[in-house]
Amino acid sequence: MNDRLDVLLLDDEPIVGKRLKPALAKIGCDVEVFEDPKEALKRLDEKTFHIVVTDIRMDEVDGIQVLQRVLNKSPETKVIMITGYAMMAIAREAMEKGAFDFIAKPFKPDDLRKVIAKAAQALGKPLDLGSVSGNAP
Amino acid sequence: MSVVIISSDRYHKGREIAQKTSEALDYALLDREILETVASKYNIPEERLRKSLDEVPSLLGVSSKMRALYLAYIEEATLAGLSGDRVVCHGLVAHLYVLGVSHVLKVRILADPKEVLRETASREGLSEEKAAKLIKRQALERQRWSRGAYRQDETGASLYDMVISLSQIEAEKAVKTIVEMAGYRKFKPMTYSIKCIKDKELATKVRATLMSYYPDVRVRADGTTVVVETNALKREKRKRTEKIKELAGRIPGVDYVEVHVVHDLLRPAAESFR
Repeated sequence: MNDRLDVLLLDDEPIVGKRLKPALAKIGCDVEVFEDPKEALKRLDEKTFHIVVTDIRMDEVDGIQVLQRVLNKSPETKVIMITGYAMMAIAREAMEKGAFDFIAKPFKPDDLRKVIAKAAQALGKPLDLGSVSGNAP
Repeated sequence: MSVVIISSDRYHKGREIAQKTSEALDYALLDREILETVASKYNIPEERLRKSLDEVPSLLGVSSKMRALYLAYIEEATLAGLSGDRVVCHGLVAHLYVLGVSHVLKVRILADPKEVLRETASREGLSEEKAAKLIKRQALERQRWSRGAYRQDETGASLYDMVISLSQIEAEKAVKTIVEMAGYRKFKPMTYSIKCIKDKELATKVRATLMSYYPDVRVRADGTTVVVETNALKREKRKRTEKIKELAGRIPGVDYVEVHVVHDLLRPAAESFR
């Protein structure tokens, strides 16, 4: 049985995926990184992920649309929203529409790892963060 | 599990609703009882703290400088109480300084004006006409208080998520409505909103410490970094920066202090007239 978590990470800034992918791999996640939301949506139609991490503000398709699309297909998937434009109204909207959590950029890889661990716990697939220390991805 | 802040144009009405809401939600009630702890921590008579929450500065009462200091102490204690969740808060004017935190549900309760008129006339032994004048005067004074202390008009509906008029909705239904709304997903705490309140808590803690030395300080925090802005003469810049860094750096939770010294000496003078 594969205990690893399937994670889709969508952010139109390449540096985000580049930094976070190895950070999440260390805690037992298989991460697929996308910069183009349309490509990500295509992949989401093909495969069900345990966790989706998505930026909110992107060209063409925004993170709220991704959230809705994911939850329509797979309500048990935990969607974590990340944004550099955090504001109360958008945070509330994301939570109301079913986001699991919401994090403002910039954040440390360890901050995201903690949220992923919470999501994993909620999915009944707890992660061990004990072996990972520091914030370097 | 959210935080609910209740304010009212009539203290006792707001308190009644806050107490019932906290019981219905099984949340802790954070109210003026914390003033005793604040008074003892800073060695200030509790009555002075209450006055700073209720009265506009005056020669015989609390000066505007001391009011700002006392309010900072109260904010510090209130934000520490709000940094957990499952809390109903009332009577600590948190609706004026807990802004932009998504898991905080802010409710304004408007007392029934007829009931207020009746109670005021009976309590003060006045005719209804005189009682109405007194109520109007008190309302204007309260507006002056909130504008002076927080540059906000607390009667403005845009400060709140919900305004309930008790002349239209009875108290029990108001409580039910608040309880239902507190359960909405949009008021669920999240990493971002928890950080917002923790940043505010740390900033207020630093401000409360620095204000005894530099009453004009403005502080914001982001994680363990604190940014302090203060007004000073150019020749005082270095000394003041060092002192602020030393004082703020001692506060638990602060790793880095950035100080911006502004050479605008008219600002504190203008603020002392507020």
